[in-house]
Amino acid sequence: MASAGLEAEATETMTVREAIRETLREEMARDEDVFLMGEDIATMGGVLDVTGDLHEQFGKDRVRDTPIGESGFMGAATGAAATGSRPVVEIMFSDFLGVAMEQVMNQMAKMRYMFGGKTEMPVTVRTTEGGGMGAASQHSGTVHSWIAHFPGLMAVAPGTPAAAKGLLKSAIRSDDPVFFFENKMIYEQSGEVPVDEDFTIPLGEAHVEREGSDVTVIATQRLVGESLSVADELEGDTDVEVIDLRSLYPLDTDTIVESLEKTGRLVVADESPLSYGTHAEVVARAVENAFYSLDAPIQRVGVPDTHMPFSPSLEREVLPDGAEVRDAIERIV
Amino acid sequence: MPTIDLETETGRKEALRRMLTIRQFDTTAGERFADGEIPGFVHLYIGEEAVGVGACSALEDDDYITSTHRGHGHCIAKGLDPKPMMAELYGKREGYCNGKGGSMHIADVDAGMLGANGIVGAGPPLGTGAALTIDRKGEDRVALSFLGDGAVAQGQVHSAANLAATWDLPVIFLVENNHYGEGTPVEEQHNVENLSATAGAYNVPGITVDGMDITAVNEAVTEARERARAGDGPTFIEAETYRFHGHFEGDEELYREDDEVERWEARDPIETFAQRLIDRGELTNEEYEALQSEVETTIEEALEYAQSAEEPAPEEAYDDMFAAEVPEITEFARRVRADGGDPDGGER
Amino acid sequence: MGAHIGLIVNPAAGRDIRRLTGGASVVDNYAKRRVAECVLEGLEVVPDPPTALLMPDTAGIAASAAEEISGVETDLLDCSPDGTAADTRRAAARFSEEADAIVVLGGDGTSRDTALECGDVPLLPVSTGTNNVVPTAVDGTVAGAAAALVATGAVEAAAVTYRHDMVEARTKSDETVTGLASVELSNRSFVGTRAMLDPEDLTGGVVSRANPADIGLSSVAGATDSLAPDEPGVIGLRLVDPDTAPRTVRAIVAPGVVAEIGIEEGYRLTDGESMTVDVEEGVVGADGERELEVVGETVEFRAADRGPRLVSIEAVFDAAGTGVFENG
Repeated sequence: MASAGLEAEATETMTVREAIRETLREEMARDEDVFLMGEDIATMGGVLDVTGDLHEQFGKDRVRDTPIGESGFMGAATGAAATGSRPVVEIMFSDFLGVAMEQVMNQMAKMRYMFGGKTEMPVTVRTTEGGGMGAASQHSGTVHSWIAHFPGLMAVAPGTPAAAKGLLKSAIRSDDPVFFFENKMIYEQSGEVPVDEDFTIPLGEAHVEREGSDVTVIATQRLVGESLSVADELEGDTDVEVIDLRSLYPLDTDTIVESLEKTGRLVVADESPLSYGTHAEVVARAVENAFYSLDAPIQRVGVPDTHMPFSPSLEREVLPDGAEVRDAIERIV
Repeated sequence: MPTIDLETETGRKEALRRMLTIRQFDTTAGERFADGEIPGFVHLYIGEEAVGVGACSALEDDDYITSTHRGHGHCIAKGLDPKPMMAELYGKREGYCNGKGGSMHIADVDAGMLGANGIVGAGPPLGTGAALTIDRKGEDRVALSFLGDGAVAQGQVHSAANLAATWDLPVIFLVENNHYGEGTPVEEQHNVENLSATAGAYNVPGITVDGMDITAVNEAVTEARERARAGDGPTFIEAETYRFHGHFEGDEELYREDDEVERWEARDPIETFAQRLIDRGELTNEEYEALQSEVETTIEEALEYAQSAEEPAPEEAYDDMFAAEVPEITEFARRVRADGGDPDGGER
Repeated sequence: MGAHIGLIVNPAAGRDIRRLTGGASVVDNYAKRRVAECVLEGLEVVPDPPTALLMPDTAGIAASAAEEISGVETDLLDCSPDGTAADTRRAAARFSEEADAIVVLGGDGTSRDTALECGDVPLLPVSTGTNNVVPTAVDGTVAGAAAALVATGAVEAAAVTYRHDMVEARTKSDETVTGLASVELSNRSFVGTRAMLDPEDLTGGVVSRANPADIGLSSVAGATDSLAPDEPGVIGLRLVDPDTAPRTVRAIVAPGVVAEIGIEEGYRLTDGESMTVDVEEGVVGADGERELEVVGETVEFRAADRGPRLVSIEAVFDAAGTGVFENG
């Protein structure tokens, strides 16, 4: 599975926030059936300013401020998707998915299967995740493992501006429900983004951000950038390969296996809680498919099964970061 | 044009036929379930036929409905074919959902039937969503969500109703108040006498009608549909009705007295309507009997179709999860079907 | 033995299709309970308040109102309600023997059902909405006070009540529909949601009162003639399409609906005269609500041979003067 060749394309420097907003703009211009709905996404431009000025261009019919009722508007998006619309829902903070979860798990995820494939479900759900803002437990969760675990849903989580664009385009164009998880601490992170309006990244493809031969770090979201910095720091000492997982489900087993065949060592870095999650699935794929390539115990970097505390000192304690990735590398190299 | 025009004699007979079809379908389904032929659960619509047929008759063919766990009546009222319906109850490949849905999930999206639903209160948000599509695309159609009295207590119903009302979406919420949410009487679940009163919270009209009278339901839905099409938003209609059977087949019905059931049975929506047509001189007793036996034949044929239909092949369990190819499903299915697959663990 | 008043509260809320098609307003049961409490409080305007006999209702409105009130003796009738008009009729029949005045919280239909059974007991119909012809829109406390003054004899009932005529329709097969203000004929096929839906459905009927300020067929009659509720005689009307009618009027046919109505004929019916209409298919209604489906029938419209004694609240307080309310 070859990734679109970013290097060959004309690019522009953008932040993750800009990449998401411009992608929404392009997709809305491209397809009349695409519209946005969520809390405070029009007049206010979104609480984290992602949708920004889109309502000025497309009007409040296509950039819809909803009442604060996630169960209702998530259900409405599901019903709209089943009848020929292509909604893009914003859930302000991923923690609020709890309010909408019935429509997600019993309707959106199941309708196609229960109906014997006789409906499509082209809905995209964008939501913000992650600690680091002192927003405490109900505005800082990383819940993407739930969604990735639940049959019938796809989940992606970009670590770079380019991935944000390519994955969001694929999500919106997909006829399946795709959850697009945005880590709120990397909205300002910049990078080169292909300008091509049809630049898409296939759902289910990871991307090698930096090649290396000693150890593989499979990271998501904020930890992609932090792992790349660690790789730079260790350069000359340890040759670190860094992979942005990008898609949580489907998961790119081939890229994981290829890398492990080369390095034999694996660190999985993801901000979700450590038990029963994204890390575990990556590890399971590794041991199922690359067992004999492994040369050292696999390391997991994540949140030690707590909620996100409020006090900055406590939050720093539980949030995984580059230093923890570095420690993990050093334990096995 | 409404699907069935109750203003005409032909329409009235067709409505009577649909009610009889529902009654016969569910009677048969109940019997076959009791005999162990139909797996899972079945929730029968017997007694509530006037609501489904009264409502769907007032809709046009391309209008949408969302249904409930007690959905057979809504399907037949919307014009679905009893053959693939019965085949779905039997879990057969020829069923509406290729055997993946069963009684509680029959759907025919192309016919505007967005699914029966096993979650109480899940339909109104979906109906609201269909209405959102209609509204955004400027189409001349409406969505109608059936919900039970129990669903009125669900948060997602409130959330959807508020959204639909605030955005003036063309959706009708039709509450089938059969007086019991599973085994708990409605007055123990709600603090209002008429569930239509909840409409006041959304600043939209709410009316209560006699759900045992097809003409009352039909008239209310006709008016609500006009209101929806005119861009005036949703309407709540509460139809007071009764299920003659238990919540599910096999329910011991410890929560209600026989004389209550008998009082409602005396108002049988089919018998009373047939009698009105007979009194009006539009239907003779002979014609009524002929209609009943035609319907019996239809359902017998549906039953035979279902019984003799093919079982889905086991590997079809892996179809229909996604529109896209997902390697996980292919891979896991391969391992399951290959007796655990190869414990390759990569190259040794 | 002390005086008694009867209180009937119709719990049916939200059954009026006109709240969807017209401008009908509906009062919810919580508000009705508060009005019922006001009625009971109002009884205390006399030093020795009458005992209140209450009709039990399916929503428990009367019972919970009674619980809230301490200064007045209350007594819930011993009968179990079934949520139909029969509840009202049964209670009215009891009150015809036991009550000295009756307060009805409801619309024209409930007032009529009471009137059919309450005999000569003075009746105060209080409108809890705004869509009625007969019931008075008045604060419940004032209605309760008026009922207490009448029931205890503080004012003379004969001086403050008037006879309200009723009208009826009778079919060849001897079915009768009685109305307080009007009995109508609609060209709809079915009773359906009951309320008269469209002005063009109305094809005629008979009214016991005619006033442009009444709602419904009485308003149509009131556009060409004037008839007080206690005036002898009734008015029969035959209506046709306004485009072909010899005369047309504008009338308030339903809450929120002013329509042009074509009148083919309108005439006073006195001394047992009747108006006969051959009906191919239609529904006979009473006080704006469809009641009886008829096919291939002949329907005879005329005055009914009885009517309730309604209390004029204004007359009660005029008659009471100021003296009644002074202590010592």
